[in-house]
Amino acid sequence: MTVAEDRLDATFTALADPTRRAIVARLASGDATVNELAAPFDMTLPGISKHLKVLERCGLISRTRRAQFRPCHLEGEVLDTALSWIEENRRVWKERFDKLDEHLRDLQGTPSPPRKGTG
Amino acid sequence: MTDQAPDTGELTYTRVFDAPREFVFRCMLEPAHLTHFWGPAGVSTPLETIKVDPRPGGVFETIMVNDSDGSRYPTRAVYVEITEPERIVWTEPGSGVTTTSTFRDLGGTRTELQIRQANAPEGYRSPEARAGFATSLDRFAAYLDKLGGAR
Repeated sequence: MTVAEDRLDATFTALADPTRRAIVARLASGDATVNELAAPFDMTLPGISKHLKVLERCGLISRTRRAQFRPCHLEGEVLDTALSWIEENRRVWKERFDKLDEHLRDLQGTPSPPRKGTG
Repeated sequence: MTDQAPDTGELTYTRVFDAPREFVFRCMLEPAHLTHFWGPAGVSTPLETIKVDPRPGGVFETIMVNDSDGSRYPTRAVYVEITEPERIVWTEPGSGVTTTSTFRDLGGTRTELQIRQANAPEGYRSPEARAGFATSLDRFAAYLDKLGGAR
């Protein structure tokens, strides 16, 4: 496995949890402290910290060292790598479907309708 | 979590085709058909590069060729299940991606093809990962895209 694949692996593992996805979604709209992140969850601070460590380990979030607040920051690039993997797959299948659709029409001798965005 | 089927966070892609189910099924399994649509836009999959050995354990190999610069992307998968005309499952040993194609007869001559990918990166297929997926990854991706700006 390449380093990039390892990274992707770790990122998807980290995202494989609803609490962590909620944390990521929250951080997508701006940095937040652990207390702020914990607020919507019925979970202790140590519980939240555990999740943050998983996110930190794969590089999805970072925490600044200043003071005791240490706001969490979403590392957009890492998330983008994971999302573009998903996007890329989505695109490939959409285009395969489009071409399969055309192929099936050709085989059956049905006239192709005017091209339009489907999907 | 209850004991219902785990939501594995698979990526799913669905399309309805105006063709009988057996027909669509064969398109996904026969090189002469695959060559027409397997490469996405801008990429071709020449007939001679497609190997299909349609039985569990048999290979499914293709080389997709970039139309503009000729770069080649070989893919290698192994069939896990072939149930005519309902389901084809293959797995890519290199990446761990398991792809399930399900063909549903919608009546008339319409067929729904659903592709499920479960799933790439190994970690993502662990039992914890599977149990943890309440929303599927592609919906999560769409949601984050909507949040947009901040990233």
